[in-house]
Amino acid sequence: MKVIAVYPDRCTGCKTCELYCAAERGSNSKSLLKAVREEPSPMPRVRVEGTNELSVALQCRQCRQAPCLDSCLTGALRRDDQSGIVVVQENRCIGCWTCTLFCPYGVIYPWPERKIALKCDRCLYMEIPVCVDVCPTQALELVDLAEYDTVLQAKRASVLETIRRAGDRQGALILE
Amino acid sequence: MGCVIIGAGAAGMQAALACRKNWPDSQVTVVDSEPEVGYYRTLIPQFINRALTEDRLFFWQQKQDRELDVRAGVSVDAVDRANRTLFLSDNQRLPYRRLIIASGGQPIVPPICRTPAVRGIFPVRNLTVARRARTWLRTNPDTVILGGGLVGVKLAAHLAEFNYPVTLIERERQLLPQALSAEAAGVVAAHLQDKGVRLFLAATVDDLQISGGLLEAVRVDARWIPCRTLFVAAGSLPDLDFLAGSGLVTEGRLEVTTSLQTGDSAIFAAGDVATIVDGDRFTPWTWPQAVVQGKLAAANLYAGAPLSLPRLTRVNAMNLNGLSLAILGLPACGYDRTVHADSGSTIYRELFHRDGRIVGGVLIGDISSAGRLHHMMTGGAVSLAEMEEYIIPRRKAMTAASLSLGKYRKKATWLGPGGG
Ligand SMILES: Cc1cc2nc3c(=O)[nH]c(=O)nc-3n(C[C@H](O)[C@H](O)[C@H](O)COP(=O)(O)OP(=O)(O)OC[C@H]3O[C@@H](n4cnc5c(N)ncnc54)[C@H](O)[C@@H]3O)c2cc1C
Repeated sequence: MKVIAVYPDRCTGCKTCELYCAAERGSNSKSLLKAVREEPSPMPRVRVEGTNELSVALQCRQCRQAPCLDSCLTGALRRDDQSGIVVVQENRCIGCWTCTLFCPYGVIYPWPERKIALKCDRCLYMEIPVCVDVCPTQALELVDLAEYDTVLQAKRASVLETIRRAGDRQGALILE
Repeated sequence: MGCVIIGAGAAGMQAALACRKNWPDSQVTVVDSEPEVGYYRTLIPQFINRALTEDRLFFWQQKQDRELDVRAGVSVDAVDRANRTLFLSDNQRLPYRRLIIASGGQPIVPPICRTPAVRGIFPVRNLTVARRARTWLRTNPDTVILGGGLVGVKLAAHLAEFNYPVTLIERERQLLPQALSAEAAGVVAAHLQDKGVRLFLAATVDDLQISGGLLEAVRVDARWIPCRTLFVAAGSLPDLDFLAGSGLVTEGRLEVTTSLQTGDSAIFAAGDVATIVDGDRFTPWTWPQAVVQGKLAAANLYAGAPLSLPRLTRVNAMNLNGLSLAILGLPACGYDRTVHADSGSTIYRELFHRDGRIVGGVLIGDISSAGRLHHMMTGGAVSLAEMEEYIIPRRKAMTAASLSLGKYRKKATWLGPGGG
């Protein structure tokens, strides 16, 4: 499964991701200049949170056990079998905001003017999510969880190896 | 002989599907007294006002699963625990190895409204009645709703949205008395009135005017209100008559542990019918809880080490004809309060807390951070500063503006707190 990874150390809080997400995914015109004049105002599915010192772009984590899915009162929320992404089927959403209330990360947003809930669907039908594409500092990246798992596995193996080599020596171990 | 589930509502149907997934070798039989099952009860108001067509209501259709037997239109009349057998209304007996009781609630109908010979009175709970009401409203649009709880308020807002003349009657001095503080309820009341709903608080229907078997008017506060349609939304309670003599009912309640187990290790209960005992007694009475409990009951059926429900909350969200609401709950007593209210707008945000723990509150008009606050309720203590940070709305929408910078005029686009 591919997810959007966020790197807080690279995020400058410039909100370019928010602007382009709102324009590309929330507007009719799909152009930044025209989008701002649209009514209702386009809204982003990614939000930059934090302070000037530490900021981070937050969007749906596509939880494996997603509380939003269990809370949906209309059947609008659905997990796409192939990608594992949780999507809002806008034609079934009535904007009751129950999923908003059940998202522990606070990343499902009400869009009252359009009576739909907004959440990141990783730009499922686009080659690359727009936020990832426009981030000027590569603070957002599309990663494959399976690949990530491989990296983590290698790390775990090296830790085990270090422990094995240390044998029953006393004292602290330095892990790479 | 496998698992039998009583009730094919939110809890029962989820339990059935989860059962088939978790225990594929176990056959599942679901029995429900309604002729149709597997629909979103929560969408009844939008169905009655014709915002939604019937096909949008169903979340389940009979598929070819020979191990899942759904019997609609059949009631369970009695439970014989000694022989692990149910007695059904079609005179059949149904043995079980495991039983999940998910029979939900029945609408409370005050005696004055129990006049079966009169046309125009509709308790709000099931699709059969909702369908009749929907047709009836076409020619009888003047409506009175009895009960200003969640269902009554929702129905009033949805009918007003489609310009039905609506009068809403609540016995207490405020709307949503079990969910909101008086101040918060005042915001909701003002909004509904603004949308054309006529409100009577601290009042009830004490007489009906009937002519030729048709409802003509109801009397409220010594005043006759002409209406051809009366919706009864005075709350609901589990109907536990079929459990009489089973030994499962304590003081009128079907009590279960946090693993949803009754006093009988082969019998579980989930959804509106169950009272969960976890120090306190708890009845969430919400759709998301029914779904989660249905799944959990199924997971625990044959499990050696049963799982417990995550911390329980009774929260609810809705959009009342343009007014968004996220209700975190109303604690009984002994709490502090932090409020953010925007004068001149409908934004009213309130948190109740005790010893640094959020124990309830409501977000009205702007429900940003609802998910985070709900999550914080189920976690540990938080600082007052953190609560104050979250009580401030933080919506974002694109805004275009002209900035005057000396002699230069610049166009800017930014994301700031949006309206609405
Ligand atoms: C109009 C309306 C709007 C609502 N809106 C919301 C909302 O916005 N948000 C929210 O969270 N909740 C809402 N609710 C509440 C929510 O619908 C319930 O909490 C939920 O449906 C409970 O599910 P359940 O499976 O426990 O019970 P039910 O859905 O009531 O299902 C129980 C089933 O058991 C059957 N049954 C009962 N007794 C027997 C018997 N003896 N034999 C066989 N079958 C039996 C009944 O026919 C019924 O089909 C609303 C409810 C209503 C009525």
